[in-house]
Amino acid sequence: MNQIVAALDAAWRILLIGVVLGAGLPALFSFGVRAMAWGTGGEATNHDEGTLPPPHPVGRVIGIAVFALVVLVVLLGLSYIVAHGLGYNLVFNGGLPAFVPR
Amino acid sequence: MSLVSPEFLLLALVVVTALAFDFTNGFHDTANAMATSIATKALTPKGAVTLCAILNLVGAFLSVEVAITVTNAVIRIQNPDGTPIPEVMGDGGGALLLILMAGLAGAIIWNILTWLWGLPSSSSHALFGGLIGATIAGLGFGGVKWTGEGYHLDGVVGKVILPGLVSPAIAIIVAMIGTKLVFKITQGVNQRYQETGFRWGQIGTASLLSLSHGTNDAQKTMGVITLGLLATGTWTDTHQIPFWVKVACAVAIASGTYLGGWRIIRNKGKGLIEISSPQGMAAESSSAAVILTSSQLGFPLSTTHVATGSILGSGLGRKGAEVRWGVAGRMGLAWLTTLPAAALVGAVMWWIGNLFGGATGAVVVFVLMVAGWLWMWLHSRRDPIGRHNVNDEWEAEGIAQTSDDVPVSQEVTQ
Repeated sequence: MNQIVAALDAAWRILLIGVVLGAGLPALFSFGVRAMAWGTGGEATNHDEGTLPPPHPVGRVIGIAVFALVVLVVLLGLSYIVAHGLGYNLVFNGGLPAFVPR
Repeated sequence: MSLVSPEFLLLALVVVTALAFDFTNGFHDTANAMATSIATKALTPKGAVTLCAILNLVGAFLSVEVAITVTNAVIRIQNPDGTPIPEVMGDGGGALLLILMAGLAGAIIWNILTWLWGLPSSSSHALFGGLIGATIAGLGFGGVKWTGEGYHLDGVVGKVILPGLVSPAIAIIVAMIGTKLVFKITQGVNQRYQETGFRWGQIGTASLLSLSHGTNDAQKTMGVITLGLLATGTWTDTHQIPFWVKVACAVAIASGTYLGGWRIIRNKGKGLIEISSPQGMAAESSSAAVILTSSQLGFPLSTTHVATGSILGSGLGRKGAEVRWGVAGRMGLAWLTTLPAAALVGAVMWWIGNLFGGATGAVVVFVLMVAGWLWMWLHSRRDPIGRHNVNDEWEAEGIAQTSDDVPVSQEVTQ
């Protein structure tokens, strides 16, 4: 019985963080794709027959910024795996990630 | 001149068998990281297995964490410090080596059989199952750690059964939410433009999954081999894994990954749902987040269950997408049966090995395992799946499932 409680206790934490990171990352990426499409204009967006939307440079800037953020998150994930293997733990000090020896 | 001593032969067979298991672990799990990237053409089949193999190789070297006590999760053949218990040290460790040998053989046979059927079953469940079966046969039911004490997740219940039930559910929910968000946010973006964009995202998340697989899975084989070395006194340091073991395991899992379990990749990437690259990225992000969070919290889950759950969730999250529940059901059935089936094979193998005894017994088990492997491999040649046809259109009854019960086109027109 205690084992089930322990498993469920871990489960809701994983679910919560999983939703934030695991659903948040592709959502963020989608904003990037959408901004880039708006920035590129033309055939990148769905549009009415005969009227090609003009490109918006701002969209490209936003898109690139968002993609850079996604790359950062992936890199953080990679460094977590590397650090974990080498015996370090990831902690967040006031929001900033840091690695401390276990 | 005497050739090799029986003790050495027994140890050598255990090491070779463990590496063979590591190899099957590699090709069985290529699909976890790469099935969706291959199905959405984010990567070519060859590019995908190459990237995945390299990251698995790197990952295997990255983990310096001592994995010597890996069997302690489910069976009692090791003390908490990693040394083998005295009961299994008879015949210079021969009793322990026979348990390892039979357990690994059980795990390998089940892994290859599920590969033949194209079913993504968990390699760690197979390994634990095989070892549990061999331990029951060798030491009785008391040799198995069935459940943990108090709130510490341990034993068969805490480390295998509960995580096996909980983790796919979590992955399904996370991937479903992710997929819904993705399609909501990208409304109005041209579909072809979307596909291209998300392919890049997929490569990033697939890399995360591959690397984390290498750091987690190669360790288990390293632990088993080192335990065998400890039992024979060939190695005495319980705080370190011999360097050659590390190299051998890393190479075994990476080359297995490179071979690619195409039958499983096909069923996972094409069989469950018709996947688009936004869904693929949502599924892979979900897997990566769930796996990394669990490893941070010390929750022992199976990568295979999470990856399959995520793909299913990404199908449920898309409006109007069809989920092939028949395929999903077969996979679920494989998850439930993996542990008991591998245990049964492991137990039978131990019994046969024990009948002959010593190195002879191990040789017999080894020969039986190789024969089984050959038989299944020949069977797979009837409807080979490889790089060339892994992405073919999915037909009502997929090619991989029918291989065993329906002899495909049995030369009727002679």
